[in-house]
Amino acid sequence: MLLGIDVGGTYTDAVVVAEGKVIAQAKAPTTHDDLLAGILAALDRVLDGVDAAGLRRVALSTTIVTNAVVEGRLERVGLLLLPGPGMDISALVPERPRILSGYIDHRGRETAAPREAEVASACRDLDGCEVYAVAGKFAVRNPAHEQAVAGWLRRHARPAHITLGSAVAGSLNFWRRANSAYYNAAVWRHFGRFARAAQAAVAGRGVTAPVYILKADGGTMPLAAAGERPVEAVFTGPAASVLGIMALAAPRGEAVSLDIGGTTTDIALWRDGAPLFAERGAQIGDYPTAVRAFWLRSIGIGGDSFVRRENGRIIIGPEGRGPAMALGGPAPTVSDAMIVAGAAGFGDKDRAAEAMRLTAAGGETVQETARSVLAAAAEAIQAAIANMIDERASEPVYRVEDAVRDLRPQPAALIGVGGAAAGLAPLVAERLGIRCSVPEGAVVANAVGAAVARPTIEVTLRADTAQGYYTVAELGLRAALPSRRFTLANARELAARHLAERAAAAGIPVADVESVYDEEFNLVRGFSTTGKIIACQLQIKPGIFTAGEGV
Amino acid sequence: MAVKPFGLVFFPAFDWALTPTHPEREERLLYTRDQIVEEGLLDIPGIREYKPRLATLRDADRVHIGVPDIGSHITDAHLVSAGGAITAAEAVVKGEVARAFALVRPPGHHAMRVVHGTRGFCTINIEAVMVEYLRRHHGIRRVAIVDTDVHHGDGTQDIFYHDPDTLFISFHQDGRTLYPGSGFTDEAGSPPALGTTINLPLPPGTTDEGLHYVLDNLIIPVLEDFRPDLVINSAGQDNHYSDPLASMAITAQGYASLAAKLRADVAVLEGGYSIEDALPYVNTGIILAMAGLDYSRVVEPDIAAAPRGLSDGTRAYLRELVAKQGALWRERESLSSAAAAKAGDFWTRRRGIYYDDSGISEQQVERLRLCPHCRGYLAVATEAEGHRTGYQSAFAAVVPRESCPACRQGAKDAVLAAKRQGKYQHYYIQDKENDSLERV
Repeated sequence: MLLGIDVGGTYTDAVVVAEGKVIAQAKAPTTHDDLLAGILAALDRVLDGVDAAGLRRVALSTTIVTNAVVEGRLERVGLLLLPGPGMDISALVPERPRILSGYIDHRGRETAAPREAEVASACRDLDGCEVYAVAGKFAVRNPAHEQAVAGWLRRHARPAHITLGSAVAGSLNFWRRANSAYYNAAVWRHFGRFARAAQAAVAGRGVTAPVYILKADGGTMPLAAAGERPVEAVFTGPAASVLGIMALAAPRGEAVSLDIGGTTTDIALWRDGAPLFAERGAQIGDYPTAVRAFWLRSIGIGGDSFVRRENGRIIIGPEGRGPAMALGGPAPTVSDAMIVAGAAGFGDKDRAAEAMRLTAAGGETVQETARSVLAAAAEAIQAAIANMIDERASEPVYRVEDAVRDLRPQPAALIGVGGAAAGLAPLVAERLGIRCSVPEGAVVANAVGAAVARPTIEVTLRADTAQGYYTVAELGLRAALPSRRFTLANARELAARHLAERAAAAGIPVADVESVYDEEFNLVRGFSTTGKIIACQLQIKPGIFTAGEGV
Repeated sequence: MAVKPFGLVFFPAFDWALTPTHPEREERLLYTRDQIVEEGLLDIPGIREYKPRLATLRDADRVHIGVPDIGSHITDAHLVSAGGAITAAEAVVKGEVARAFALVRPPGHHAMRVVHGTRGFCTINIEAVMVEYLRRHHGIRRVAIVDTDVHHGDGTQDIFYHDPDTLFISFHQDGRTLYPGSGFTDEAGSPPALGTTINLPLPPGTTDEGLHYVLDNLIIPVLEDFRPDLVINSAGQDNHYSDPLASMAITAQGYASLAAKLRADVAVLEGGYSIEDALPYVNTGIILAMAGLDYSRVVEPDIAAAPRGLSDGTRAYLRELVAKQGALWRERESLSSAAAAKAGDFWTRRRGIYYDDSGISEQQVERLRLCPHCRGYLAVATEAEGHRTGYQSAFAAVVPRESCPACRQGAKDAVLAAKRQGKYQHYYIQDKENDSLERV
């Protein structure tokens, strides 16, 4: 049995899943001041009648990191950057950085050394700072400078924690890594406190199963491992929903999914049964980061969206004014339209009709108004989907082969989950001319997603055979190549070994390894080939446990 | 932050090479990709990356006369590269971005009007295809092209040599010391366009200081005087001190401040073969400068190796060059009338053109009709001989836009007359008014 908990804006949902089926579900109000209280209330309710000893895993999707960021509960971070030549990003990061000398070039070669005296001076300047983030340009090609700076920090300050940019992401993008490292350090203490409390509280209820936390990319990590990389636990709500869709509906081929909740609809595009990822990483506040995340678009339309007429046109959302009038709310909502149109069965029908009367244009019946409201909502969602498709189709490509191929997504199916899915998803599908499904259990999709999310981890290996070394950024590793005749196939094998190592260290079982990308270039100097540059990224495929599989 | 964003079309063609070890190979923009991705340049709010569209054969036929046809000389890579230039320019003329840079390969500035093969790594002229596309679809008329590649932009010069609406300025390492061996000051345009081709051969070893002297004292004032609808930069990067194919001494700062002063609407990458030591920094500098951002920290790690200063000899030479070309510019109208009067009804030029990559020698005769009522027409006779391609010949007439009925008829008659004589294998009429390339 797998237990999943999703902390939502209003409710905290908990489910127990066995053999791919939801066997127990419960909810408790989300307690915003102390998330753990709501989590434990939901846990107690869902475990009522379930044998806790049979649980193999507890997985949490929590807003703890997202809230800390949104509410600005961030610890002061000593941010040290080694930018070398290039753009000045001093004004583009969340905290005023200290700029250090030292430069690693694109091949991972040191072209200028860092200086301990500068770090010592920065430490005096940052007196009182207990957490640090260090990011160097091209550190993913050679982490030596970041590591040296971390060593000096330990000598000249008493850091409780240091995040290295190269450890939070293995891919190029110094600016994003610097932002990621900053946020990771800034939420480290807050998250750690939560993780320890959660671990203790769960154990106190006689649950011996390990506790995992969901990541933005839909993977999970053991709570202990998450303590070092808390920033990855940002934006887990939408990720949980996407995984819930995977578990409940198993989309095949190209598809679009909608999670239609109270005030928002989260849209994801799917290819080959897997959701698409954000190309470069998630945006946190005003800052782009290297945190891997699904590519989602959120629009302000949901069941509770406020509906009114302005200059004769029906306007929906983005804000809500409370629940549906049918449920005693103060103003017309999309849910009221669904009730009148016969697409939802809850609440007071007369109040819903009253809501539509308030919205009706002259001479319209309430049914006609309800249909117009739903059509307008479906149209807005359809437009957002079209926008996403356009955006994906115009994503730059760097190979002729890809430039001449039509890469425009063509979803053939639509899956709807969330409270308002049954009323709206079929209308959107009809407009797109594709088939629609609203799977059972759609209301607790997020908690199901958390329950069945598979642990995942990745490594990025880059080999430079001319220089005879390779790096694995996430491990902070730079080592000699086993042979000069090193091929892409060798690189994949070596990467797989390091992936297994990294997974073992994090307590993650290795299953379903996939290649995220690879590239291979001949180095030509003076008209002859002097070596190769090979890069590959492998990951344990994010996804869900199927029946019989588990931790 | 710029009010309007800056557009970037980045297309490194990671799966295309002329040959595996050629300077134009897959690896060329690899380190540039690494640098601009690592900098985070593609993420900053003022920069918008565009996916290149595919140019069509028709876009190429608007500029070139391919023998037997342009399609048989090019690959998809060329259509993406030319399409990338069009994408960048269209983003500017539609007002989506303030300026744009097509950082694309393969390059194009050695490709001439007639195409028998590949020369100087170029098969179609991507700037010219872009310019003629803008004229056709966006009503652009006056265009200035500033070629900052170390090699003379002989292809672009050839295509616009008779067009007074296109100002072509090229500075380059002196043609006596470098491919393609042209670009001397006396190549100044045919009589009706005399003065709108300006060549600035620079001595090997010219530094930032020398280049900026020419830029400040000649190029910028001439551009201001010409008042173009659009300024294009053929942005080759091989004037860099580390370039393996040339002998100049320009730095990333020199290139970036050039981009800042030039304020080109559209830049299109040309050459540049110091793929590790120059391109990552020069491209970062140009992108920042064109986007109106601070580029002062973009400095090569080995900057100590860059030569500085200027010898007295070079200083004197540059002063004289600027004076001479400045005078030509100021007197271009009277010089043009005098040259036209001297030539009479037709102006003729015979040339040998060598295709280094394809191993082809071409003999070409151009006959330009000088018409008092319109831009006249151009008749081109070409014969080429190559090891692999054998003998290829063609006769073509080019009818410019806004031509008078007599010249339209004259162009047609010239092709029909040549065909009756039957000396050539292929006959064409390229009609810019009707936007057609017709086989006769």
